Amino acid sequence: QRHSQQDTRVQYERIGADVTMKCGAMDWDAAVTWTVNGSDIDESHLNGSYLVLRNVHLGHSGQYSCYEGSSWHLKYQTSLKVGTPPKEPVLMCRSNNYPKRFYCSWHLPSPTYIPNTFNISVIHGTREMVCEKEAVPKNRCHIRYLQLFSTVKYKVTLTVTNALGRNSTTITFDEFAIVKPDPPENVVAKPVPYSPRRLEVRWNNPSSWPDPESFPLKFFLRYRPLILDQWQHVELSDGTSHTITDAYAGKEYIIQVAAKDNDIGTWSDWSVAVHATPWTEEPKYLTTEAQAPETTTSSTSSFVPPPTTKICDQEKVVGS
Amino acid sequence: MASAERPPVILRSLDLCSRAIRLARKIRSDVVSLLDSYVERQGLDKNISLDGVDSMPTAAVEHWSELTEAERLGNNLKAYRIFQTLLAEVLEDQRTHLTPTDTNFHESIQSVMLQVSALASQLEELLMLLEHSVPAREEVEGTADSTSRSMFEKKLRGLKVLQELAQWSVRSVKDLHHVTKHSHSSSTVHVSHQ
Amino acid sequence: PQTLRCITHDFNIMTCSWDAFSSTNLGQSYEFCYENSGLLVCNKNKEKSADIPIVHGSTTIKITTLNASGTPLATTTFILPEKNVSFIPLTPQILSLTPDFSTEMLYLKWKDGGSAFPFDLDATWQIEVLRKETLERVAQVTYHSKLTSKDTILSWNWKSDMPLECVSHSVRIRCYINKMNYGGNKEWSEWSPIVTVPGEVPDLSFAKVFPQDRVVPVGSNMTFCCLHREDERIEHIKYGLKSYPLLHLSEWSSAIQVQNVSASESSGTNIWCSLLPYGVEGTVLFVGYPPDIPQNLTCETHTLDKIICTWNPGRPTELFASRQTNYILSERISGRNGTCRVTENTMGNVCVFTVLATQNIYNFTLQAFNPVGQTESSLSIDINQRVHPKTPSKFTVTGESPTKAHVSWYLPGNFIQIKLLCQIEISKSHSEPELDNVTVYGTVNSCYEAQLDMLHPNTAYTFRVRCSAADHFWKWSNWSEKKQWTTWEA
Repeated sequence: QRHSQQDTRVQYERIGADVTMKCGAMDWDAAVTWTVNGSDIDESHLNGSYLVLRNVHLGHSGQYSCYEGSSWHLKYQTSLKVGTPPKEPVLMCRSNNYPKRFYCSWHLPSPTYIPNTFNISVIHGTREMVCEKEAVPKNRCHIRYLQLFSTVKYKVTLTVTNALGRNSTTITFDEFAIVKPDPPENVVAKPVPYSPRRLEVRWNNPSSWPDPESFPLKFFLRYRPLILDQWQHVELSDGTSHTITDAYAGKEYIIQVAAKDNDIGTWSDWSVAVHATPWTEEPKYLTTEAQAPETTTSSTSSFVPPPTTKICDQEKVVGS
Repeated sequence: MASAERPPVILRSLDLCSRAIRLARKIRSDVVSLLDSYVERQGLDKNISLDGVDSMPTAAVEHWSELTEAERLGNNLKAYRIFQTLLAEVLEDQRTHLTPTDTNFHESIQSVMLQVSALASQLEELLMLLEHSVPAREEVEGTADSTSRSMFEKKLRGLKVLQELAQWSVRSVKDLHHVTKHSHSSSTVHVSHQ
Repeated sequence: PQTLRCITHDFNIMTCSWDAFSSTNLGQSYEFCYENSGLLVCNKNKEKSADIPIVHGSTTIKITTLNASGTPLATTTFILPEKNVSFIPLTPQILSLTPDFSTEMLYLKWKDGGSAFPFDLDATWQIEVLRKETLERVAQVTYHSKLTSKDTILSWNWKSDMPLECVSHSVRIRCYINKMNYGGNKEWSEWSPIVTVPGEVPDLSFAKVFPQDRVVPVGSNMTFCCLHREDERIEHIKYGLKSYPLLHLSEWSSAIQVQNVSASESSGTNIWCSLLPYGVEGTVLFVGYPPDIPQNLTCETHTLDKIICTWNPGRPTELFASRQTNYILSERISGRNGTCRVTENTMGNVCVFTVLATQNIYNFTLQAFNPVGQTESSLSIDINQRVHPKTPSKFTVTGESPTKAHVSWYLPGNFIQIKLLCQIEISKSHSEPELDNVTVYGTVNSCYEAQLDMLHPNTAYTFRVRCSAADHFWKWSNWSEKKQWTTWEA
């Protein structure tokens, strides 16, 4: 009968470390039994009454207990957690609802397998700003703009700590540099009756953009026939609609839109792609549901403004 | 009334606003490229901390959305008046002390000065059109002791002037959009009353 | 009394001191006696020292220790040969130590104390310059002078290799006088009290970098220091874009050393002191060349009322604005100066000197100077041999006959003292132009004329004219504008 009356202690060790555990106050030469998660541990791991674990790995994590040989009294118990100290965290700040707030989000480049705590400080000149944490996602917090149009840079420092170490990263940025709207919403493309080379595209300002009148957005439209790889682009300094006038008749088009504050910041990611085919003689069932061979909202397809090619570059016209 | 006939003042102010917005944008793009050539000619680093350089109109503002129209336009006008003097000081420093033979560079500073002066006039006209009081001209601090500044201080000061002007030009665009927004809404109210 | 030691500061009086040990020192005094010109002189003294005139050869001194009631306790007689009396000059006193922060010079003045000696003496001074609170020696110089039986104020100056604002600089001096015929031991004086020029102490408002806005020649070795407030630390100091190792000077001052600086841009090279927690201070260094010797110095006159001197400035100095090369044109005979105008691109440099009615020969010296150096060029001319007339204007042609034409032109200038040679080019189609030379007496700002004959009747001609000095040709003027003229029909 094993008697366990010890409260469990937690012990953190780095991957690759050598770990030696004593059986509480027992002498080195005392007769003891070690278990991990209830299973006996082979004698080869013992050095007298000490338990020796070499070059530990994640698999070594578990609850280790030591019982006195004859009385089976629990003399020592610990929960071993094997992990790594945190690497330098990746920190990013962005404002998608300028001029109300900006948020900072972060992640670790590799897991530590043990609990980490994050602390963020946001300094603007000599002023420390509050970063309001969110329940979900946990690795994000929001900062309210107290001052607009400032030349003073923001300095954000994120410190991550766990039992095995600490790391931090600091980024410094100008107010305008992190302004990046969300993609335009409700993008709709329709043929124009009796116009075989036209497509009418409409969209809305991203709903997260709080004051489009005072902070108007400009847009970048890209479109191509599915049969071609080369996009055509057009920049629109205002308005939320555009008529494509040089579509290939009868060819199905894929269309996306991106947005940017007229004066500051960077382009949003591309909107969800929509498809449309210009009007043709025979009525054709128009497909306008969202297909995402190139779903744009994921950050992998962030918008990079291409060299603005001529809208009707003749040499590139194929057939027709 | 078949279509919403806006009062002439509103139309005039909307036109003036859009012209001022275009000019402010032009100033911004010119100042951004002037900043690049300024940094290069002075051997400076764009990210240098200029917190210690003061006595100039900073664009930074709190509670921006709560500013009244008069405050918005008045603050802009005061700033651009000061910038006219500050830019003249920057130009003088470049001609006299730092880049005396670089006439092209001087001309690009002068071009921005002219645009700033034009924007100040448009803002003044807009204030009068919208029946706000035009702020009195103030003695500009900073020019008095410009001769006692060291060359390094002159270089940093010039950089700060251009950085703040670039920032102001963005603020002006947003301020003017804000004024336009309210001109629109007030003219819509006006139409609906008739 | 024992171990008598005597020193002198002036070869006239010696100060002797001795040791005296006894159980009770209370109320003791000392009587000392010596012979002076055959007389025994005795004096009493509380201290164990006495001033005694120096006599040639040796001096016998008897010293008696007296108790409080004057009862002699012990007596010792010393025979003191002159050679045992050490000569130690009086400790010198520094009069002033004046810094010139702009040139990084220290100016030292002190009195040589010559009045202590009724005769001339060679003196050697040792001057030490010490830096920082720790008084680290940075310079030790030996300076020789001659004492001339009266006090003379000596001065010496020292160029620091570091801005004087960076850290405190102190100076001390001591003296050694070598009286050849003095048999006694000769030693250095004590060091003078230290005099200190404190470095700049940064006031609480801002940090500073020194030197401020200096202009130096290419190749200089420079030291820059950054003074910061106590709540600040220096992150780095950069010269241009390169960071240099920090040298600690004091609790609020660190420096960098830059060797062999190269020519700077027009706006100078920035030296940045980046501070923690934040802020940056700096200065600008302008590095350039001294002016080249003005090349191809040429002086001439267009109108004999002004002399125009031009030259090629030679190698660009890379210094601009207030740092650019300036010129002074001076004329040795009249002692007058011209007025010079320099242009940024330096190719339009010119000096103008007013012609003097009574002077033909002019000995010009053109001085070129900028903040890092100066040179000069000289030129001697006879102004009448340097006439380069202006372009003839108002050139007119009038007919006289089918084979004659009359031409006239205007030439500004006061040519009364000389004759002018003018050349008229006569060209007509399908033939080489002919040149017709005419010499005229110079006048003041007036028209000149000539007659052309042997022309072909009813023929279209083109004329133009240029002039120069008839005697001592120097340069032709430019050609006047061309004039077409058709001679009358025969």
